[in-house]
Amino acid sequence: MSRLLLPAALILALALAASCGAEVRESGGGKEGGGEDGPVRLAVVPKAIGFDFWEQVRIGAECAAETSEGEVQTQWDGVTAETDVTGQQSLLQNFITQGVEGLVYAATDARVLADVSEQAIDQGLTVVNIDSGTEPQPDEVPVFATDNVAAAEQATKLLADELGQGGGKVAFIPFQPGTATNDTRDEGFKNVMDENPQLELVAEQSSESDYNTALQVTQDILTANPDLNAIYAANEPGVLGAAEAVRQAGKAGEIVIVGWDTAPDEIAAVEEGVVTALVAQNPFRMGYDGVNAAVQGIREGTPPEGGDTGSILVTQDNLNDDEIQAVLDPSCDDPPTQTS
Amino acid sequence: MTSTSAHEERDTSALRERLSGAVSQLAAAGALIVVFVFLSFASSDFLSADNLFNIGSQTAVVAVIAIGMTLVIITAGIDLSVGSVAALSGVMGVTLMVNFGLPVPLGILGGILVGAIAGLVNGLLVAFAGLNPFIATLGMLSVARGLTYISTGAAAVFGAPDSFRLLGQGVLGPIPIPIVVIVVVAIAGYVVLARTRLGRYAYAMGSNLEAARLSGIPIKRYLTTVYVIAGALAGLGGMIAASRVNSGQPNYGLGLELDVIAAAVIGGASLFGGQGTVVGTLIGAFLIALIRNGAVLLNVDIFYQSVIIGVVIWIAVFWDQYRRRLAASE
Repeated sequence: MSRLLLPAALILALALAASCGAEVRESGGGKEGGGEDGPVRLAVVPKAIGFDFWEQVRIGAECAAETSEGEVQTQWDGVTAETDVTGQQSLLQNFITQGVEGLVYAATDARVLADVSEQAIDQGLTVVNIDSGTEPQPDEVPVFATDNVAAAEQATKLLADELGQGGGKVAFIPFQPGTATNDTRDEGFKNVMDENPQLELVAEQSSESDYNTALQVTQDILTANPDLNAIYAANEPGVLGAAEAVRQAGKAGEIVIVGWDTAPDEIAAVEEGVVTALVAQNPFRMGYDGVNAAVQGIREGTPPEGGDTGSILVTQDNLNDDEIQAVLDPSCDDPPTQTS
Repeated sequence: MTSTSAHEERDTSALRERLSGAVSQLAAAGALIVVFVFLSFASSDFLSADNLFNIGSQTAVVAVIAIGMTLVIITAGIDLSVGSVAALSGVMGVTLMVNFGLPVPLGILGGILVGAIAGLVNGLLVAFAGLNPFIATLGMLSVARGLTYISTGAAAVFGAPDSFRLLGQGVLGPIPIPIVVIVVVAIAGYVVLARTRLGRYAYAMGSNLEAARLSGIPIKRYLTTVYVIAGALAGLGGMIAASRVNSGQPNYGLGLELDVIAAAVIGGASLFGGQGTVVGTLIGAFLIALIRNGAVLLNVDIFYQSVIIGVVIWIAVFWDQYRRRLAASE
């Protein structure tokens, strides 16, 4: 009996595999035919999974896929650390091999991933960058991202205004020096610091994108600079760590904290008054615009031009405005795609 | 006659082992003192009570996990999964409190239990399935991190009760609770290593596994227990880290194993097995914490900090091998 079962099972498995293979080819055929009806298969790859920010990118990407005319299938996958550049490179190459028609991704490293984009384009894929592009940026690849330098300048100006004419001591918590996102937020910050000689940069220590590390370095910075006036933190774990350290030091409200991203606890810290302002990007829109651009590129041959997905400074005063809430808690029913 | 001399020889070699362990600890302690004195002069804020307590609290996670790691390293094993297991325990413990309404102490115990279970799997893979510890725990590093993302949907778990903060941020009199935890775990670790069968067997298995097996030690059971303890302590470390930020962070502990292993090795634990002490490991953990703290106080460039830690690890391991060669040539 079992002698019969095994071959039978094998044949069944082979038949299944063959039919699946056929299915994949069929859906891939939509592109070759250039038809509007075939399902479009896209891979959407964030820098890493594990942060609120990328979850919102996913919601936006899936929203665009759902609301798009015709069938669009998105596959969401990512590495576990934003520093895992080669991991992301392999993942993207696997997607290319697997035969998706479009790649929508955020580059963990501008130079390394440029090759992957070229490779994908050579294979006839449509490529769209979200959040972070590559260097060089191929003409065929649009970027949908926040203008980090402009947003950082805006945030730092607010910090300078808060400290007033007297100025004061400022600490900076970057998260991953050497990456484009980190360094553009650094650039905008330093531009405004240079324009304001009353502001003194007394410490610059990385959070390594980890809440606990951010807490520790901020504690140590406060130890070394008991008279610190302000902190600028360049991403979510940095803001959370800085806020927690200031809270634990009993200096909530005395030290101005301005930072990036809008995780639930960061917003709570704004409500509480520990954090003065947060740069809210629009990750939903990155996913949304990115997928729409890729679909258009696949269906019509060329994707549209990229653009600034916008940002807003969230403060205690405007926290409950509808416009802000639509960005902070995006839903596909009322997609926040119009902010500037 | 021959049996007596053999006996004597074993005694002296045991003594020599112990002495060389002490010498290695002395070197680490010396380094600790040098860094401490240097920082006292270099930074006027270093010697404040607040800062010293901060360092103590900051060391807690690495110190607690490194004590478990020491036990594993003594058996000539390694546990690469501690960072991932700490993250898994942290998010699971916090999830138990937030989503299942468990009281804080039970949530903490739950987190530690999760760590112990991960350790049990490590132990079974090493002791019963015969996997190399490096491979077994490398697999767990990946599995536990994956489970962390699966259980949280890759988003941080917020909303833990405020009383959870006690573990990582509370004080007992003037002393931060994380420091109390270090002391308790260190004493327990010391007792286990010095006074229990488990401790004796750990050294025996690490010195010569085959001899230990022939002398009738139930190796599989004890080796598994060692990994369970290391896992549970990784879980406790994860709960302390979670408490310090009052949330479960799925990205916590990436690369933590490096600091933990470095702490044990700097303190004289030998990756070849058979050597390692709780006191040495504590010295190692504090040395790393001092270097990190000092680097921030002095605002040392971020990239140099990694270089400094790496160089310290080199020196420690080089010293370990040097004294080993010296001992062998005597």
